Amino acid sequence: MSEQEYSGLTGRIVQYTIQNSADVYRLGFWVGLVSFIMITLFPFYWLLVLAVTPDNQLYQMGVVPENFNIGVFATVVQEYPLHHYIFNSILIATITVIVCITLGSLAGYAFGRVDFPGKGPLLVLLLIISYFPGIAFLIPLFELLTGSLSILGTPTPDLYNTPWGMVFPFTMLSLPITIFILTTFYSQIPDGLEDAARVEGTTRLGALFRVIMPLSAPGVVTAAIIVFIGVYREFFFSFIMTDGSPENWAVLVYGILNFQQQHTQMYNMMAAASLIGIIPIAVLVIIAQEHIVRGLTAGGLKE
Amino acid sequence: MGEVNLTDVRKEYEDVVAVEGMNLTIEDGEFVTLVGPSGCGKSTTLETISGLTTPTSGTIEIAGRDVTNKPPKDRNIAMVFQNIALFPHMTVYENISFGLRLRDFDQEEIDRRVEEAVEIVQLEGMLDRSPDELSGGQQQRVGIARAIVREPDVFLMDEPLANLDAKLRVAMRTEIQRLQKELGITSVYVTHDQEEAMTMSDRIAIINDGELQQCSPPLECYNRPVNTFVAQFIGSPSMNLFNGQVDGDDLDVSDFSVEFDTTNTPLQQDDPVTVGIRPEDIYLAADAEDIAHPSRPVTVTVDVLEPVGDQTYAYLLSETDGETTELLMSVDPDKDISEGDAIEVVFSRDDVHVFDGRTGDAITHSLVDATAVVEEVAVEGEA
Repeated sequence: MSEQEYSGLTGRIVQYTIQNSADVYRLGFWVGLVSFIMITLFPFYWLLVLAVTPDNQLYQMGVVPENFNIGVFATVVQEYPLHHYIFNSILIATITVIVCITLGSLAGYAFGRVDFPGKGPLLVLLLIISYFPGIAFLIPLFELLTGSLSILGTPTPDLYNTPWGMVFPFTMLSLPITIFILTTFYSQIPDGLEDAARVEGTTRLGALFRVIMPLSAPGVVTAAIIVFIGVYREFFFSFIMTDGSPENWAVLVYGILNFQQQHTQMYNMMAAASLIGIIPIAVLVIIAQEHIVRGLTAGGLKE
Repeated sequence: MGEVNLTDVRKEYEDVVAVEGMNLTIEDGEFVTLVGPSGCGKSTTLETISGLTTPTSGTIEIAGRDVTNKPPKDRNIAMVFQNIALFPHMTVYENISFGLRLRDFDQEEIDRRVEEAVEIVQLEGMLDRSPDELSGGQQQRVGIARAIVREPDVFLMDEPLANLDAKLRVAMRTEIQRLQKELGITSVYVTHDQEEAMTMSDRIAIINDGELQQCSPPLECYNRPVNTFVAQFIGSPSMNLFNGQVDGDDLDVSDFSVEFDTTNTPLQQDDPVTVGIRPEDIYLAADAEDIAHPSRPVTVTVDVLEPVGDQTYAYLLSETDGETTELLMSVDPDKDISEGDAIEVVFSRDDVHVFDGRTGDAITHSLVDATAVVEEVAVEGEA
């Protein structure tokens, strides 16, 4: 039987796709890729359009900007203390990262490399706690951190309007994920290396910081970035723990919110500030990209 | 100054006893190998010396100091590991100098010592490389350099050659031996390979089920094993063992018997015994005149021949009353025997070992001169 000929447009398309299935797969790939990119990048595009549209035309803003007001970026930087907010954010995030990685390393070492009774239940407990929404701790934490509680007659310190008022809850919220990531990585370092370090003259702690941590660099960097981004974009505690002025350690998100006042909503300013605020994170991610990819995939591989 | 003393060391892991009643003295400058099957407790013993594991009870002394509860860093020991354990994030130089830098030596001294160590292990010009750029043998040499650079009291080696290929292993074996003699550092070496133990050590400590069986020079372990375990473990291929009992002036084992005058031994009529004969002490009956005291000939069938070059291993079957006994002999490859042949073999009675059938302890190591009773040998390991 000879090959059957198809007639008509549909018939020819069907015949073509059957005979050239590789082309069809390629087409499917590109359609998928383009849709994915559009879905991820459209919000950024929208933010950009919002930023450059002059504020008197915002009510009729469309997908294609009609007027360009690039000056909004300069206005935001020059007339508002945006740099101060960003500095506060970066500083608070950095402190949180340092505290989290230090404490998380100690816990990760214990969970990943030491056998002790109750290890399993403790890890589960940690997991359960990490699933609690942060807001669940809001009132007790607020009271604790604003000096409203007293423990054995000593009032707790008032951390309102200080960076520590934010570092404390952020650390608490970020520690479980940090511990989980570091536990996974530290447990994969061969025992022989730690033994070698200890025989050579370190303590267990020394082996952790001199050998295990450097060898787990991808994991440590991944954990650090996840914590950093988490803190940088956190709104809830940042909003509660300061009065919103940059001198009192208000962070970027609070700064952006400050464009929205009782009678005016400067959406274009907010959009411009948001875009500028993304830059530090973008730079950070680009620098650490290689580590992050290794870090996120390494956990799933057993060598 | 590197004497090591283990007294009544015992180590339990939850419900498993890994090491029990370990008494071992390693003299200054001596090379002692801990050998035994896997899981016998030899690595645990080494770990207790290194301080990576704390014994459940007992004491450990190094260079005259009680170090039982001291961490590894305070014991002045160095260790070479099976998986080499070089720090992958450091260069060869950083690896070798790691211990010195931790101890705040000044830079000049560090450089001098590293250079010296590198020269000894012949790794000049590789200091800037990272470990993954080196071959397995070179990596292990870095491991050795890292160990000797600190001039430790004791040198611990945990199967350092196990991960190397066969040829390199033999070469490194000689190198480690030469190095140890040169430096004169007390060394404790762990291996499961009896050949390594035989060739390298001043003394071999054979461990089974967490207990020390015998600690003697290699040839003593080979010629005068204290029990059936040591007899089978040392020597390759391993010793033939036959269970039987005393029958008048004979030791009757399954389907043949060897003549033995039991008067000077504690053996009585019908006592169970285990007779041990090394494959190299079995001869063809035709060659019986070459040995001083041949046994009665035994008729056997050649089952399988395994030529290994300088000799051929012949698996022999001896069959009577439907019962088959297997024995292994090593024979000159020139001898004209082939599989399926019925041949006659004799044993050299000077070299037949007799063990107590119940305890497995050695009774004598020669059927001719039975004064070689074993009590004196047995205690040596605990001296």
